[in-house]
Amino acid sequence: MIHRSSFRLTVAACALLAGPLSAATIDVAIIGEPDTFDPMVSTKDVVSIVTQHFVETLYTFDDSWSVVPLLASDMPEISEDGLTYVIPLREGVTFHDGSSMDSADVKASLDRWLEVASRGKGIADKVETVEATGPSEITITLKEPYAPLLSLLAFSNSAAAVYPEEIIAPQIDKVVGTGPYKLEAHEPDRYTQLVRFDGYTQPTGAAERAQIPDEIRFVPVPDPNTRVEGLLSGQFAYADGLSTEAYDRIAQSDAAEPVLLEPFGWPIFAINHKKGLMTDLKVRQAVQAALPFDDMMFAAFGDDKFFQTDGAMYPEGWAWHTEDGTDLYNQNDQEKAKALLQEAGYDGSPLRILTSRQYEFHYQMAEVAKMALEMAGFTVEMDVVDWATLAQNRDNPDLWDIYITHSPFLPEPALTSSFFPTAREGWNNPEKNEILDRFTSESDPEKRKAVFAELQKIIYADVGLIKVGNFNALQGKAAGLEGVTPSPWPAFWNAKLPE
Amino acid sequence: MSRYLTKRILGMFVVIFLVLSIAFVLVRLAPGDPASLMLGPDATPQEVDDLRARLGLDRPILVQYLTFLANAVQGDLGTSLFFNQPVTQVLAGRAEPSILLALFSLVVALVIATPIGIWAAYRRGTPGDQMSVTTAMLAASVPSFLTGLIFQRYLATDLGWFPVSGYGGPDASFATRLEHLVLPSITLGITNSALILRFTRASMLDILGEDYVRTARAKGMSERRVVLRHALKNAGIPIITVVGLTFALLVSGAVVTERVFNLPGMGNLAVGAVLRRDYPVVQGTLIVVAAIYVLVNLATDLLYLVVDKRVKY
Amino acid sequence: MSGLASPAPGFARQLTARPLVTVGLAVFVAIVAACFLLPALGVTEIGGMSVRSRLSPPGSEGYPFGADAFGRDLLARLLVAGRASLGIGLGVAVLSSALGIVIGLVAGFFRRLDTPLSRLIDAMMAFPDILLALSLVAIFGGSVGNVVLALSIVYTPRIARIVRASTLVIREMPYVEAARALGTRTPAIMLTHVLRNIVSPILVQATFIFAYAMLAEAGLSFLGVGVDPATPTWGIMVNEGRQYIDNAFFLILFPGLAIVFSVLSLQIVGDGLRDALDPRLAKET
Repeated sequence: MIHRSSFRLTVAACALLAGPLSAATIDVAIIGEPDTFDPMVSTKDVVSIVTQHFVETLYTFDDSWSVVPLLASDMPEISEDGLTYVIPLREGVTFHDGSSMDSADVKASLDRWLEVASRGKGIADKVETVEATGPSEITITLKEPYAPLLSLLAFSNSAAAVYPEEIIAPQIDKVVGTGPYKLEAHEPDRYTQLVRFDGYTQPTGAAERAQIPDEIRFVPVPDPNTRVEGLLSGQFAYADGLSTEAYDRIAQSDAAEPVLLEPFGWPIFAINHKKGLMTDLKVRQAVQAALPFDDMMFAAFGDDKFFQTDGAMYPEGWAWHTEDGTDLYNQNDQEKAKALLQEAGYDGSPLRILTSRQYEFHYQMAEVAKMALEMAGFTVEMDVVDWATLAQNRDNPDLWDIYITHSPFLPEPALTSSFFPTAREGWNNPEKNEILDRFTSESDPEKRKAVFAELQKIIYADVGLIKVGNFNALQGKAAGLEGVTPSPWPAFWNAKLPE
Repeated sequence: MSRYLTKRILGMFVVIFLVLSIAFVLVRLAPGDPASLMLGPDATPQEVDDLRARLGLDRPILVQYLTFLANAVQGDLGTSLFFNQPVTQVLAGRAEPSILLALFSLVVALVIATPIGIWAAYRRGTPGDQMSVTTAMLAASVPSFLTGLIFQRYLATDLGWFPVSGYGGPDASFATRLEHLVLPSITLGITNSALILRFTRASMLDILGEDYVRTARAKGMSERRVVLRHALKNAGIPIITVVGLTFALLVSGAVVTERVFNLPGMGNLAVGAVLRRDYPVVQGTLIVVAAIYVLVNLATDLLYLVVDKRVKY
Repeated sequence: MSGLASPAPGFARQLTARPLVTVGLAVFVAIVAACFLLPALGVTEIGGMSVRSRLSPPGSEGYPFGADAFGRDLLARLLVAGRASLGIGLGVAVLSSALGIVIGLVAGFFRRLDTPLSRLIDAMMAFPDILLALSLVAIFGGSVGNVVLALSIVYTPRIARIVRASTLVIREMPYVEAARALGTRTPAIMLTHVLRNIVSPILVQATFIFAYAMLAEAGLSFLGVGVDPATPTWGIMVNEGRQYIDNAFFLILFPGLAIVFSVLSLQIVGDGLRDALDPRLAKET
């Protein structure tokens, strides 16, 4: 009885308060709070998703993952020897603080990128100089040819963002960018509010940023179930990082539609090449032979609508696709693994798999892998920790043999840091390093494809890392929402809700 | 009375001092060096050392402790590693939803439990009494996150009566924010109504057993009138007690409820801080919540005095 | 002082006087028996994974309660998890009682230690239970032992308060004075008397702590800092089930019911104990 009356009251209150959702505001549910608005210092997807709206880079990717100019006015002029990149800058670009962008800002930003960004630092030793060779021209001189440079400059993750020279510092607290939206307010754990930047000028290469919404709000919602409920109730126009288990529920709803990124990326068993069990090739091969990839993918994703058991580093349809070396994928042969272990003289010391339940599919794949590895004779020790601990422990090679992660398919293979000996996995095979050097210094796209096939082959032969398969990611949008291209890093400047 | 007051307040300071000490020790027990945590994996040893010096982590533990106490007394609880803001500032931003949630859920719990508790006591021993008490216990036996998830799914998403989560956007008016608190308050209130119901019932039983009620009953007054006239007059003490008791439950229950409904309150902040290893915030939240608890307790005791006086004269 | 009555011979009869309490007791005993006896009798074998049967509904061939996302038999898993969940509850009840009795006795016996210990108890009570347990588990890691320890620390003050209060009362009782006059060593006699008199309230309180600890464990799992999933608990199972709420509701339902029935029956038993042990309340009802 008491129930009913307090109830009626609130229903009445709701009817009064719930105004129509303003079409000019796009509310987006993201998986967590961005820990910084400076995309240079972060490789987190959630930081990229938010900051790409207000911070821009010289180049960006178009829908087919080709590099196109954003703050640059054109593609660079690259010298014959591949060492000099002359990049023309767009004129009349205004920062959110009202100043206009010139080559000094770009030089200061790129210098900082080479110093503080993990991807920038990774190539700093290949860069001779970054110079402002004119008010609207920047010249990058390399010590050796490095073909992936433009992809790095275009990537929104550890981004080569352009800031005004005046704010450049090792740590930037208040980010000023040139993007179509500017940062209006940030209430931690509640929202990040972006409003249209009126001084924005359209890029010449990249697709138009039509600035359709007046406001874009990113709301951190850590729980995946809550993101789904929020989407279905109409609270959000878009939601990132949904469990594929929610697909049917979203598909059946009138309020929302599922957005399936197909294929999105690849789960990875990263291998500790620095210390411990996995430094022995035979042991690595035993792991590779034992793993039942289709069961692992099935347990994690449940329906082949959401995954493919595929050993190629890039799925069909990508320029980088090749089947070389993949005969070693999905052997699911625990007997062979047993034999390999015997050859290796395996003494039963535990194989430590480090994982977390931040992404439930990581944990699920690990559980299935554990069963198969035990069948092959491994002693397996699962170390299931929270994400913060994992992020800390994986940097210590004493603590793990395998840790589980995933990556979207990146437009340029050289963006995958695990291939490089400097990564935390420390895969330092000389033959592979030589292939990798050829891959990054070769500029002819056709030749690069051939070199990549060699790289894929050695990834399998030397078990540099283990690709589990391809998986699709689920996002969701309000029914009738248009103008958002499905992407690991969806952008909302063209987003339009139905009237 | 003033002597009692002095003693009570002195005791409170001792408790707060202990609270601070426990929080300090707890955080020092945490594995990992705060400086390297703050700087991340790419920091050089030199950078870590510099930061350690800046944070005073290189000083003897006793000096650190005294500094911590001195700062805490002055309202400085350190700086959040994640938000890069003073902990007090971060906490201040989370006070409103937490306090309102505690208040509203208390109201919900009282509204549900008090009448049923009185009724159950009045009908003591009957099946109705047993059923109401058992139902309340049942409500308290369901993990509150499940209650919350079910409400969220059916009342918010499917029926659209309430917002699903959060605390409204940048332009959220006070009314909108309140609207976001309705479902969390009901969830938390229901979970905690069992305690209040049982307490109310027990207090009523006490009162019904009092001599004056028996006398009145013997004089032929109807039981209902006796209850209304005499018993409710003395309801002050039980209500104060129950509010004091429930407050602690509400604060900890709120941690889970805030998480379910993604309310940006202190509980949610603390969970996030634990998961992000933002130890200054964990420490700060523990201290502030414990201090609130101590103050509420003191207030409860002082209210007893006031009410007692009124009862006596 | 009514609390001084020790468990009477008719205790069992009194306890089961109310049919509801009998039912509660029966339910709880049945749950415990199922978890600890059935696996031992081989009634359900802990099935391995069979990924292709994932999320088979209850009643499927070989899956009376359905299968989880790995195709593991949910019933077997429920029973195994039950041992951990009930174990955590019992462990916390026992450990916090033991710690609480020691602290309470010391505070009650030694006047000089009374004030500092009481303030310490007050300070511990001031920390909200989930928040304190959350920090402790995050700091020390999520093993079953650590969760038990963290929750015991949280609940110890409740017991300590009760013990201290009755110790203080009893040390002033005439028969203690008398015993002292007869030459019995004070600590010995007091210990005996105090312990005999606090058994009832502690038993009642421990029953409730048992129940709360099980709920708290589920809450910790929900918050993402519970027990390491290598040891499944009902709380972990409910949380694992959340993402399948649309396609396999039974994954939440069964472990959820297990928690609800255990906690509810414990609370009913606790209430029954209180009534049976506290003649004053028993008289009233």
